[in-house]
Amino acid sequence: MALVALSELLGAPVRDASGTVQGRVREIAVAPQDHPTRVSYLVVRTGDRERIVPARALKSHSPTVRATTDASEWESYAPSDGVLLLKRDLLDRQIIDVHGRKVVRANDVELDSTPTDSHLVLTVVAVDVGARGVIRRLAKGIVPSFTLRALLERIPPRVIPWPFVDLIETDPTRRVKLKIAYEGLSKLHPADIADIVEDLPPAEREAVFETLDEEVAAEALEEVDPRVQVSIVESLDSDRAADIVEEMDPDAAADLLGGLSRDRSGEILQEMEPSERQEVTQLLEFSEHTAAGHMTTEFVAVPAEAVVGDAIETLKRFEGGHEAVATIYLTGPGQKLLGAVPLLKVATTAPTVPLAQLAADTISCPYDTPEDDVAALFDKYNLVTLAVVDDHGRLAGIITADDVITMLRQTH
Amino acid sequence: VLFLRAGWKSRLLLSLAVVGPGFITAAVDNDAGGIAIYSIAGAQFGYSLLWTMIPITISLVVVQEMAARMGAVTGKGLSDLIREEFGLRVTFLLMFALVITNLGNIVAEFAGVASSLELFRVPRYLSVPVAAALVWVLVVKGTYRSVEKIFLLASGIYVCYVIAGLLAQPDWRAAIVGTVSRPTASDVRTYGYLVMVVGLVGTTIAPWMQFYLQASIVEKGITARQYRASRWDVILGCFFTDIIAWFVIVACAATLHAQGRPDIKDAADAAQALRPLAGEYAYVLFAAGLFNASLFAASILPTSTAYAVCEGLGLESGLDKKFHEAPAFYWLYTLLIVGGASVLLIPGVPLIHIMALSQVVNGVVLPFVLIFMLRLTNNRDLMGSHVNSRTHNIVAWATVAVMITLTLAMVATQTKGS
Repeated sequence: MALVALSELLGAPVRDASGTVQGRVREIAVAPQDHPTRVSYLVVRTGDRERIVPARALKSHSPTVRATTDASEWESYAPSDGVLLLKRDLLDRQIIDVHGRKVVRANDVELDSTPTDSHLVLTVVAVDVGARGVIRRLAKGIVPSFTLRALLERIPPRVIPWPFVDLIETDPTRRVKLKIAYEGLSKLHPADIADIVEDLPPAEREAVFETLDEEVAAEALEEVDPRVQVSIVESLDSDRAADIVEEMDPDAAADLLGGLSRDRSGEILQEMEPSERQEVTQLLEFSEHTAAGHMTTEFVAVPAEAVVGDAIETLKRFEGGHEAVATIYLTGPGQKLLGAVPLLKVATTAPTVPLAQLAADTISCPYDTPEDDVAALFDKYNLVTLAVVDDHGRLAGIITADDVITMLRQTH
Repeated sequence: VLFLRAGWKSRLLLSLAVVGPGFITAAVDNDAGGIAIYSIAGAQFGYSLLWTMIPITISLVVVQEMAARMGAVTGKGLSDLIREEFGLRVTFLLMFALVITNLGNIVAEFAGVASSLELFRVPRYLSVPVAAALVWVLVVKGTYRSVEKIFLLASGIYVCYVIAGLLAQPDWRAAIVGTVSRPTASDVRTYGYLVMVVGLVGTTIAPWMQFYLQASIVEKGITARQYRASRWDVILGCFFTDIIAWFVIVACAATLHAQGRPDIKDAADAAQALRPLAGEYAYVLFAAGLFNASLFAASILPTSTAYAVCEGLGLESGLDKKFHEAPAFYWLYTLLIVGGASVLLIPGVPLIHIMALSQVVNGVVLPFVLIFMLRLTNNRDLMGSHVNSRTHNIVAWATVAVMITLTLAMVATQTKGS
């Protein structure tokens, strides 16, 4: 087992079975369909054209690349969508460092070379993003190789192991062929995905949002800066955008659609499921800087005569965000707000106790309350959630503490 | 009722967000070095160099528009694109050259701060360290948006030059004729006249501007869709720059040249000399304008350099990041300011030579940057339908050819001179 850098292989002379130098290495190809990390072939520039030297014909790579076959057996190279070319697709490109949760630039690629009985197996192991890769490439051919090697050993490596690398490919068909699915990225916290996406150029952002699972995409999109949010949604197809928007919290979805052009948000609403569309359309009618502008319509409400057990059953079926379950609201006929019970009390009381016995003073505000007053209510009563009621005292939605934090950070 | 949320406020914010980078870049273009050159041009040659303003404006618009378009279409900085398309070595060499060039420019800016405040009897040992600290705090401790507002506001002070030009009571007819007529054959053969043309072009179209403008467009999140408005921002900015330049030349031509006092060495000399000729106010305005220009450019150049270098070499960058998130960015930024300012505190440092050298390096680096830009903006994989038009290419390549010729001429005259 030995490590070799992509930059050391590129440009290296290639000898065929007869021992004569036939050309130089120009590219190294990995075919993800066959094997996710193993080198499939080298592209070698010979006098007249570019040829393919298959990995199974490789004997050694240092100091020159040696092949076990004759140059006449090497086929001509024709570009193909389905292979990953390490120099073109990786070197100097931006990649996502899933472990470090950021966008970085590839300075070099580290390959492992392991000799087997018949040939040499080259495998991509890591991407160099540190000073070592930079110095190796800058000094190549200028500093004698043994001096360079000694120098490089003194530099601490900064590499990302290959499993933590997510490539960014903007062409959707190539993405499928190369099996790029942003698996690593989608396992991150939505807020981290959002930070990464904000650091990417627009086409790359679009690529990520086209590929991510809808639910993950929706959660991440909620955390993205509003300006970037708009540009992402503008770039997606209406039906893809609608799929993502449907998965978002209705208040976040309404904020997002409100920032789009009228035509664009109309198209997206058209593509949405009727029930989600109705919720979002209602929210869109409210002014952004009032209680209604910040409320979500996904909350836990049970009839006022219900017992603790009923509340727990409702909670089990609840599909909204986990911020919203901190308070269980009691409603009468026509959704009229009658009381509120903290989740803690529900969790610590016997299932047969009527909820009305646990209800405390209910704090609520009319839907047109200015946002500053909303923040003041949260502050004064140490609220986790605040009920928003319409002109007839009906529970229209709730505001959660995290929305208030977002609101305060936006205004200051 | 349905779309109350997308009210006039957000629309106003959107248009304000688009007006900015192009204008700021162009405004900073009239830095200490620029004002010095314009003043000397007016003082020595009167109205006879005003004709350069029209071709310079055309080239400036074309070049700046390319940078802005690239930023909007690709969402990437210029050095990002150079790294991706031309590799690490080319990028490294270019970044090295850019740091050296811009360090020279930064020294020139602090020299501008020092000499403008010396007119108000503030010693440079006080003004330069204070200005350096102010610039550092302004950019590092403020967020990008508020910093930009300060910058935008500051470009208003450039109106000083227009007022100074008006107070100088120039011969308007001669000025207009000088702007639209061709140079005379005998002028063109004069050694000093040619050097001045080189200086005027070199100071107006500088390498740092391309990197700064494209980075600002990307940082603002301006996309290909919003680009139409940005193009106007760029074009208006270029006109603004050159109108100010025109007025500086006219002011100096109407006073210093008309009174037979052409021998000034820099912009502070010009302000000093204007005092008895155009009155106390013109003098104060000229000095205040120089001070602002220098301070403004001194805050933008180090940022621009740090952006370009960190993007190109793949290091974390951006004013929206904290110090510990982008250490290389902030260190480079800090070292450029400290380095640029401390040169001025060395007793007996040959300032004129340093400034002249920085102009030469500027000119040598610019054609390379322009060629990279042209190759990038003609790359269909990158730009899609937004590649350069044929007319665009002709103007841009002509600019490159002229710049290379002028640069060679400048190097030749420098060698001849020394």
